Amino acid sequence: MTTQLLLGNDAIALGLTQNECRVVTAYPGTPSSEILAGVVKFKKKLNRDIYTEWSASEKVAFEVALAASWSGLRAAVTMKQVGLNVAADSLFSAAYTGVVGGFVVVPCDDPGPHSSQTEQDSRLLALTAKVPVFDPSTPAETMAMLKAAFELSEKHRVPVIMRPTTRVCHAVQSIDVTDTGMPPLNGNSGFKKDQQRWAATPVFRLKLHHELNAKLQAIESEFESSSFNYVVNQPLAISHQPFGIISSGSVFTTSQEVLDELGVEIPILRIGTPYPLPRKLVAEFVSRFERVLIIEEPDACIELQIADRTHVSGRLDYVIPNAGELTPEVVMKVIGGQLDKVGLTVAASPEDSALAGIIGALKIAPRRPRLCPGCSHRSAFFTLKTTFGPNAIYPGDIGCYTLGTNLRVVDTCIDMGGSVTMAAGFYHASKITQDKRPIVATIGDSTFLHSGIVPLINSVHTNARFILLILDNHTTAMTGAQPTPANDYAADGSAATRVPIENIVRACGVKFVHVADPYDQEPFEKLLKDAQAFTQTDEGGVAVIIADRPCVLYDDSPVEANPIPVVITEECDGCRYCVEAFECPALILRADKSRVDINYNVCVDCGQCIDACYKGFIIPKEVVMSN
Amino acid sequence: MKIVLAGIGGQGVVYATKILSQAGLLRGEKVMASENHGMSQRGGSVMSHLKIGGSEAPLIRRGTADLLVGFDRTETMRNLTFVRASGNVFVNSTNGLDSSLSERLQELNIAVHAINAEACAKELGSPAVTNLIVLGFAPAHNEFGLSLDDLKSAVRALGPAKAVELNLKALDVGAKAAR
Ligand code: SF4
Ligand code: SF4
Repeated sequence: MTTQLLLGNDAIALGLTQNECRVVTAYPGTPSSEILAGVVKFKKKLNRDIYTEWSASEKVAFEVALAASWSGLRAAVTMKQVGLNVAADSLFSAAYTGVVGGFVVVPCDDPGPHSSQTEQDSRLLALTAKVPVFDPSTPAETMAMLKAAFELSEKHRVPVIMRPTTRVCHAVQSIDVTDTGMPPLNGNSGFKKDQQRWAATPVFRLKLHHELNAKLQAIESEFESSSFNYVVNQPLAISHQPFGIISSGSVFTTSQEVLDELGVEIPILRIGTPYPLPRKLVAEFVSRFERVLIIEEPDACIELQIADRTHVSGRLDYVIPNAGELTPEVVMKVIGGQLDKVGLTVAASPEDSALAGIIGALKIAPRRPRLCPGCSHRSAFFTLKTTFGPNAIYPGDIGCYTLGTNLRVVDTCIDMGGSVTMAAGFYHASKITQDKRPIVATIGDSTFLHSGIVPLINSVHTNARFILLILDNHTTAMTGAQPTPANDYAADGSAATRVPIENIVRACGVKFVHVADPYDQEPFEKLLKDAQAFTQTDEGGVAVIIADRPCVLYDDSPVEANPIPVVITEECDGCRYCVEAFECPALILRADKSRVDINYNVCVDCGQCIDACYKGFIIPKEVVMSN
Repeated sequence: MKIVLAGIGGQGVVYATKILSQAGLLRGEKVMASENHGMSQRGGSVMSHLKIGGSEAPLIRRGTADLLVGFDRTETMRNLTFVRASGNVFVNSTNGLDSSLSERLQELNIAVHAINAEACAKELGSPAVTNLIVLGFAPAHNEFGLSLDDLKSAVRALGPAKAVELNLKALDVGAKAAR
C-alpha cells in the first residue's frame, strides 16, 4: 500500500488513468480545472496512451469524448456544473443512444457558490436527462467510484455521471493509490455502424427511450445492494433512535463529524448513488424512524425522489436552508435543532459570541479579489473608462476580467458569451427607448472562442452597433492558464493548429477590426474613439478591438524585457484617485491616509499606473535618477 | 489536530498547507485538508482547513480549531473565532492582534504568538518565504503538535529541489525568532 496526499481532482485524474480511460476532454472551470491537468501529469508518469483535450466548450468536449466511447474506448469529460448546461443538449441525447466504451461525465458542483454564477445541482440535471449518478464523499472515494462508474456504463451501455462538489475537488487527502483499475469490458472495437441507434429518427428515439427506462430500472435494483450505500451508527436497539439521517456527498462526512462532536449516535444512511435512487432501501430506512433528515448538496435530489415524505424533512419543507453551502456550522444548527425537537439538548462548543462581537466592532472590510499587478485588462479597462465615462453601457463576461466590476466597466455578467448577445440586445432595445449611450462589451479570448462567435455572427447579421473589446491574453487565465484554440499547443504540450481570433472576427463579417496592445494607453484610447465613430456611421456596425497582451501571471516576458519601474513623488497628497480608479494591488494608501506608496514586493514594474495619477505624481524611476 | 491557515492570495497559504499536510502524512497520520482556488486567489482572502489524524470532513467548525496560523494580521483576526478555548494562534504581525481582543482571548485561554516574519524575510533577502518563517516559528511552542524536523522532512519531500535549501533556511529563521 502506498499512501499519498492527493487533491480531489488529482484523485479523479488518477482514477481515470488507472481505469484505462483512453480519451479525456474538458473545458476549464472552477472547481473542475485540475482534473485534465492531472490526467496529463499521470499519463506521462505512468506512461499511458491517453488522448487529452482542452476543448473549445463543454459541448465540444462532451461529444469528442462520446465519439470515443462509441468507438469502443473508455472516455470521460469534465467541466464545472454550469458547463453541463452548455453540454446538456448532448447529455440528454446521449442518454437515449447509449454508449459502447465506458463513458463517465464529471461535472463539479459548487455549493456556496465559491466561483460560479449558480448553485445548481448536476444530479438534478442528471435526473431530468435520465443518467445514473455516483456521488463521492471524499477524494479517496472518487477512485473507487470511477471504477464502478465505468463498469456500470459498460454493462448497461449508458453514460454515467460522477458528481463531486468543491469540497471533494479541492480537498487534499492521504489516499492509498495502489492501482485497482479495471480494464474495459468491451475491448477497443472501433466504431460499429448502427443507424437506428447512432442516428435514430424520432420513431427509433421512442424505442431508445423505452430501452433507457428499462436500463434505469435494472440499475436501480443494482443500486439497492451497492456497497456505496450503507448505514453508519447502526443501532443495536432501533427503538431508541430519536431520528435518522440520509446524506450524500461531502456533507455526509460533515454530518458524521457533527454527530461525533455532539456525542450522539444517530444512524445515517449514506447514499452514494443518488440517481436512480434505490427506493426500497431508502423507504425501509425511513420506515424505522419518526423523522428522517435529508442532508444533501446543493439541492434536493434524494429528497425529491422519495414519494412519501410524511416522515421526511429537508430542503422541501425548509428545515434545511435552500441556498448556501452546508458548512459544519449550518449542519450543527440543523441537527441540533432536530435533537432539540425530540427533547435532547446537547452542548456543542459554538463560536464565542463575545469574541465575535469584538471582531465585528473592528469592522474588518471584506477583501475583494482584484486583477493582478500588471494585468493588461486593467490598462484596457482604465482607458475604456476614461474614454467613455461612467455612463456607457458595459456588458461583461466570465473570466478574470469580470473583475472589471471593480473599475466600474462591467455592468452585466450572465454567462459565457453573454456580453456579445447582451450588447446586441441592449442596442436593439436602445432603438426603442431612444437611448444614445455607447455600448462596449468585453470578453476574453477563451470565452469568445467558447461562446462569443455565434453571438457575433448574429449581431453582424442583425445590424447591431456596439464595440466588442476582445481581451486576448493568450490563455484561459482565471482557471490556471489552459490553452485555447488560438494557441499553438494542446493540453499535453503537443503541437496544435492556431486559429487566430482576428481571422474569425473578419470572417464573421465585422468591418472594423483592429488589434492593439492595451499597454499603449494613448493609441488605445484613439482606437476606442475610432471604433465608436464607426458604430455611428451610415455603413457602421459592430466594431471589434482585440486587446492583445499576454497574461502577466503566466507570461511576464514582455514586461521583463521592458520594465518601467515607477515611483510616487513627494507631492502625492493621498487623494486616492489612483487607488480607486486604477486599483492596482501594489498601490497602497498609507494607514494615516497622507499619501500612496508602492508595494515593491508585488509591483511588477509595468509602468501602467503612470497615467493613473492625473496630477503626474506617479513617474518613471529613470526620470528621478536623471534629475 | 485541527488547523486553520489564513492569509491573502499570493502569500503561499496553499503551499504552507501542503507542508503541514505532508508533515502529517510522514508521521503516518490521516490527513484531510481543504483549499481555496479560483477567484479568491486574485488577491482576496485565502483560507485552508487542515485536519491531521482526524475525520474525513473537509471543513473545521468555528470554535473548534486547535490552531490558527495567520500570514496576515487582518486575515487572522477575521478568522479568530475558528479557534477553540485554550487553542493557539500563530500570527505574522509586528504588533500582535488588536488590543481590544486581548481580554477576551485571555478569558478563553487562547494564546497568541506573534512573529514579525516580514522583517525576517527581508533579512533573508526573500520576501517569498514569509509563510515558511511563520511555520518555522510555530513548533517551538509545544502546542503546535508538529516538530521543526517534521516540517523540514516535509519541505524536503515536497521539493522542488532548487527551492528546498531556501525553504529550510526560512524554517530555521522562524525557529530562531521563537527562542
Ligand atoms: S491571472 Fe492574468 S488575466 Fe487574470 S487577473 Fe491576473 S494578470 Fe490578469
Ligand atoms: S508599475 Fe504601477 S501599475 Fe504596474 S504593478 Fe507597479 S504599481 Fe502596479
